[in-house]
Amino acid sequence: MKTIFRITRSLLEGIRKDLRRRHVHAYERVGFVTCRFGLVRWADLLCLAHGYFPVADEDYIEDRMFGALIGSAAFRKAMQLAYTQNVGLFHIHLHGHPGVPTPSGIDIRETAKFVPDFFHVRPNLPHGAIVLSSDSLSARIWLSAAAKPKPIDQFSIIGAPLMTIAGLR
Amino acid sequence: MKARSVRQSFLGDNSDDAFQHLTIAIVGLGGGGSHIAQQLAHLGVGQFVLVDPERIEESNLNRLVGGTFADVREKEWKVEIAARLIRGVDPDASVAVARDRWQQSADLLKTCDIVFGCIDSFAGRDELEKAARRYLTPYIDIGMDVHEEKDGTYSVSGQVALSMPGEACLHCMNVLRPELIAQEAAQYGAAGGRPQVVWPNGVLASLAVGIMVQLVSPWHNHHNSVILLEYDGNTPEVRVGSAVSFLRGKTCQHFVDAADLGDPWHGQAPPP
Repeated sequence: MKTIFRITRSLLEGIRKDLRRRHVHAYERVGFVTCRFGLVRWADLLCLAHGYFPVADEDYIEDRMFGALIGSAAFRKAMQLAYTQNVGLFHIHLHGHPGVPTPSGIDIRETAKFVPDFFHVRPNLPHGAIVLSSDSLSARIWLSAAAKPKPIDQFSIIGAPLMTIAGLR
Repeated sequence: MKARSVRQSFLGDNSDDAFQHLTIAIVGLGGGGSHIAQQLAHLGVGQFVLVDPERIEESNLNRLVGGTFADVREKEWKVEIAARLIRGVDPDASVAVARDRWQQSADLLKTCDIVFGCIDSFAGRDELEKAARRYLTPYIDIGMDVHEEKDGTYSVSGQVALSMPGEACLHCMNVLRPELIAQEAAQYGAAGGRPQVVWPNGVLASLAVGIMVQLVSPWHNHHNSVILLEYDGNTPEVRVGSAVSFLRGKTCQHFVDAADLGDPWHGQAPPP
């Protein structure tokens, strides 16, 4: 199965701008992208980004071990969105460098802990985690709570100009 | 770069690849769509999805590019004429055809990078734009009209619009309005064959293809995602639609719900 992630340029640029805002104590910001999905010929999966929800300032926990550590209230609010809007949830954060970003060891370890929890509220939808760079992105998708995540195969940035980015292999 | 592309090398070192990897849908292969199919083949687009439920008739020969008298005799499908035209230019092009209404082949449209809409009715264009937006697919719409004035003369006009997900839609641009759709529905069955000629279709199709090239392989840095071009065939002039200056930077309010995206059934719990 091939997974294709489509996001509008305006939404993507808005997310980058928001994630670059300074926080009082957190080194970086994080948020959640909501997605709807389409199946193509009952095989390939289209992930269609719909909205962006930044973690509120007060929901960051001060901890120098992490670039950003968010508390249960942030997850509760995000999962509420998934439940009420019938959408998949993708955790998102920004690496400052250009080029296709790879998730760090901490990214891989921490997302493996919390992304499967999103299936508690929307068990029939995929969920995932996105890493942005200054000019590109990569993402992993979980198709079920028990499944291992797999990289998104292709990204389409919908806007002027149109851009296609190959996913991590 | 392939030899055939040397004269369009200003479109960028990677433009060959960009066109080759594109999948483009053309819905409606009549007067407008046939022009577009021909131009995209010349550009080097690699994958086509052609959708039209009709066969050619003699009255189409005044404008359907690629159509022949033999096709009329054989009652050839319009999509097959376009496919033949494309393969004549580029034998390696992949062409999927649907001899049906696009609603019966909606799955084919999901994977397309861009959809061209070349259909007559306002209601049909409204539905097609909604379907394209549902899968975050840019939609380029062309529409042409020959209108009889009160003094018995005719005015030829048309427009080309880019409906880019996240930006202004055809309703924002006033290309589609509820009263137009309602008026059309009220006249259903009484309209008869509307006047159509070859050259305005050619002008509009060329403008539409130019918009696509700017999106895929821009040769300049003036990126523009809100485009409405209005053609007056009598003057003759092409102008930027008056709505455009008000719409740049504005968020479309017609496609905002999460439910407007993706397969409507996706995420529903399986039946017990």
